[in-house]
Amino acid sequence: MIRLVLTRLAGFVLTLFAASVVLFVTINVLPGSAAKSALGIHATAQAIQRFEAQHGLDRPLLVQYAEWLGRILQGDFGTSFQNGVAVGPELLKRLPVTLELATFAFIIANLIAIPLGAWAARRHQKGADRSITFLATILGAIPNFWLATLLVLVFTLTLRWLPPGGFTPFTANPMMNLKQMIMPALSLGVVSSALLIRIMRASMLEVLSTDYVRTAEAKGASSRTIVFRHSMRNAFIPYLNVAAVEFGFLFGSVVVIEDIFLLPGVGSFVLVGIINRDYPVLLAGALAITLFVLTLNLVVDLIASLLDPRQVKARNA
Amino acid sequence: MATAAGFDFRRWRLVLLGGLLVGIVLFAAIFAPWVAPYSPFDLDVAKMLQGPSAAHWLGTDELGRDVLSRAIYAARISMQVALLAVTVGLVGGTLIGMTAAYFGGLVEQALMRAMDLLFSFPAILLAVVLMASLGTSVLNAMIAIGIVFIPGFSRLARASTQAVLRQQYIEAARSIGMSDIRIIFREILPNITAPLMVEAAVAFAYAVLLESALSFLGLGAQPPDPSWGNMLSTGRGFMAQAPWLSIVPGMAMFICVLGFNLLGDGLRDVTDPHMRE
Amino acid sequence: MDIRSRALQDGRPTLSIRDLTVDFPKRDGAFRAVDGVSLDVWPGEIVGVIGESGSGKTMTALSTLRMLPKRAVVSGSIELGQRRILDLSPADMRKLRGDRLSFIPQDAMRALNPTMRIGRQVGEPLVLHRNLSFKAAVSRAVDLLRAVHVREPERRVEDYPHGFSGGMQQRAMIAMGLALEPELIIADEPTTALDVTVQAQVLKLLKEIRDREATSILFITHDLGVVAELCDWVYVMYRGRIVEQGSVERIFMDPRDDYTKMLLASTPTLFPREAAI
Ligand SMILES: Nc1ncnc2c1ncn2[C@@H]1O[C@H](COP(=O)(O)OP(=O)(O)OP(=O)(O)O)[C@@H](O)[C@H]1O
Ligand SMILES: [Mg+2]
Repeated sequence: MIRLVLTRLAGFVLTLFAASVVLFVTINVLPGSAAKSALGIHATAQAIQRFEAQHGLDRPLLVQYAEWLGRILQGDFGTSFQNGVAVGPELLKRLPVTLELATFAFIIANLIAIPLGAWAARRHQKGADRSITFLATILGAIPNFWLATLLVLVFTLTLRWLPPGGFTPFTANPMMNLKQMIMPALSLGVVSSALLIRIMRASMLEVLSTDYVRTAEAKGASSRTIVFRHSMRNAFIPYLNVAAVEFGFLFGSVVVIEDIFLLPGVGSFVLVGIINRDYPVLLAGALAITLFVLTLNLVVDLIASLLDPRQVKARNA
Repeated sequence: MATAAGFDFRRWRLVLLGGLLVGIVLFAAIFAPWVAPYSPFDLDVAKMLQGPSAAHWLGTDELGRDVLSRAIYAARISMQVALLAVTVGLVGGTLIGMTAAYFGGLVEQALMRAMDLLFSFPAILLAVVLMASLGTSVLNAMIAIGIVFIPGFSRLARASTQAVLRQQYIEAARSIGMSDIRIIFREILPNITAPLMVEAAVAFAYAVLLESALSFLGLGAQPPDPSWGNMLSTGRGFMAQAPWLSIVPGMAMFICVLGFNLLGDGLRDVTDPHMRE
Repeated sequence: MDIRSRALQDGRPTLSIRDLTVDFPKRDGAFRAVDGVSLDVWPGEIVGVIGESGSGKTMTALSTLRMLPKRAVVSGSIELGQRRILDLSPADMRKLRGDRLSFIPQDAMRALNPTMRIGRQVGEPLVLHRNLSFKAAVSRAVDLLRAVHVREPERRVEDYPHGFSGGMQQRAMIAMGLALEPELIIADEPTTALDVTVQAQVLKLLKEIRDREATSILFITHDLGVVAELCDWVYVMYRGRIVEQGSVERIFMDPRDDYTKMLLASTPTLFPREAAI
């Protein structure tokens, strides 16, 4: 088991490193405009030169990258071009917001997808299966930022139940925190569930057609027992792996959702970084979101292998 | 029950339904100047924020412009962006995937590792970061979204190519001394188009979503050019007085995305032999 | 027809199948997988059903369990003891499976749930039919595994299937089938996946069980050697029909049907035939 964790961890670190290279290179493909953005369009050539020299933007990319990485490894994310605020502490302040949003959204997506997907598989090609598949198709076609807008229209403007946005730490006021989180989490989670329903259904169908399910039936197990005792765990193993990857793919939407609900998380940080061409902000934010997604994959991967006795044993030996 | 010779409606119904929705959107996009009742840019301050009426079926926006006309013109931008982005993803991904599968070994390792890496970024984040370095414009949105699609297409192309390579006739082609390039384009490419087309339909839907999201954030199509994303973004400011400004562009995106998804699902069922009874 | 000495026994057969037909509907008509099969298994008897691949052996067995694919259409009658299997409600049928009637499949490796400990799987019939807790069922599973000669069963019940060898997996399946002392065990090619020495051990075990518990066994195979070693009575199946039946000695010494003769001729190294020469 320890070896399993270590191999996964090594892969995780490698991917993160490679991701940092890609992000850094991508963001620095067009250097120069950062200064203009920070100093205003009317900045003189000298002012720009001074700015670039000051921030080291005139040196070779490789040197810039090495220095940036070196500082990041010491926890120093640099300062914002825009307002000189230290990026690291700001990022740290924003992480919990996005973490909470991601966790809620992932839970909501799974709470919808697992029972519905399993139920559809159990009722394969019957009415319930068709309805659920249809529902997944509908959900998958709703843009999450539109769903967010509609939720605000209904729950904030019409019913006046929920605040339109903002963030209150859970520790400060738990009720307010949940009220502010529920709509962003629903917007992300409900739409993501569309894909997860299909994945769960496919995993379950696969398991239900196996020989060991036939064995369970031949023992006299009811369809309910077959699904819960003999199939859930097995269907979960492939489901979790694929679900985590797909959820990560959709998770970039935090940029939009945090913007809509005025959540001071990493997503809105990235957006500010882009709009201002504030490279230190943008890089740190994008790296943090990538780290999020990779961590989710790692954790889910480990949970999935814990569920599979073959893997636990094989990696132990 | 369909007759052997007759058209099997049940089998094709998803394709037909999806095709119908996509057809409507494409029609609106191509014939926008003839279909749209008004110009999408004509301001009329006297008619600001009017609800749906006989003259303006879907109401007017904060500058008195006809919402229906703007939504119709917005289909143009969406379709252009999606078409170009899918083309970039399809061509790039297919080339990479086929090359990887055909040559195998180190080439394959390197290419697919790179694809895995690209795939480990959340889609929108990748698009957004690309936009940041390319600059915000419609053309750059197309390129950014297209790059996002490359890993998905390359994986599919690789898997399909590997399946084709196991067939006999590739050996035959090699044995008569056909060149690699010829084999790839003459023998392999025609045999992997079906799964790629299915994926392309689904990617189209996703491209529309991504373009809208980018425009919504102000990184794609810039006002006054209408796009569903920027219409929704401005509309949100008037949600209380004029909810149709938020509902109409969202509905348009929904219909368009649903259409492409249904088309993709339908094509998958029709081309996948396992689904046939 | 032979004089069926076994029919002179007192009482009734454990299993009695009459005119069993299984159809798979197709676009044009139906495919008849089992065509008017009648067969009997008497108490304490091991009856072989032999035939080539696709002859309908498994469909006959699954009919008895009422576990045919959903599309299949069955007619005829099947009686297990006094019970008319095809007329039972699904709930009553479920009570029978694993209790009065158990099934041992071909590939034990795949028939065992990879994520469930052996003890729980072997003991599960007691949980399902006797309301035992899993704890009690697992301690019964220890005895059951010991009875099928699994060494150190106390330790082995904690294992997962992948820790078992092929022969041990099949023994575990047999132990599971024996859990509630069924009237009839249906074994569908239970030794095909095993190598020869292990195969012999499993066959010996089945014989031993029959001798000890007087269980009836319906043994499906396409291996004449296995039939010769194990069975009391044989049915030969060909294209969904029973073409010949008889005691093992009679079938081997004096085959009457052409298909049986062919089968015998194509298996030249059989012990009974050599003995007959
Ligand atoms: N789901 C199904 N739909 C249509 N035909 C089927 C189905 N299942 C089985 N059959 C057909 O029924 C016939 C009998 O199959 P069966 O599995 O009983 O053969 P078998 O004698 O057990 O062969 P084997 O030795 O290969 O196990 C075969 O020709 C098979 O093609
Ligand atoms: Mg069979």
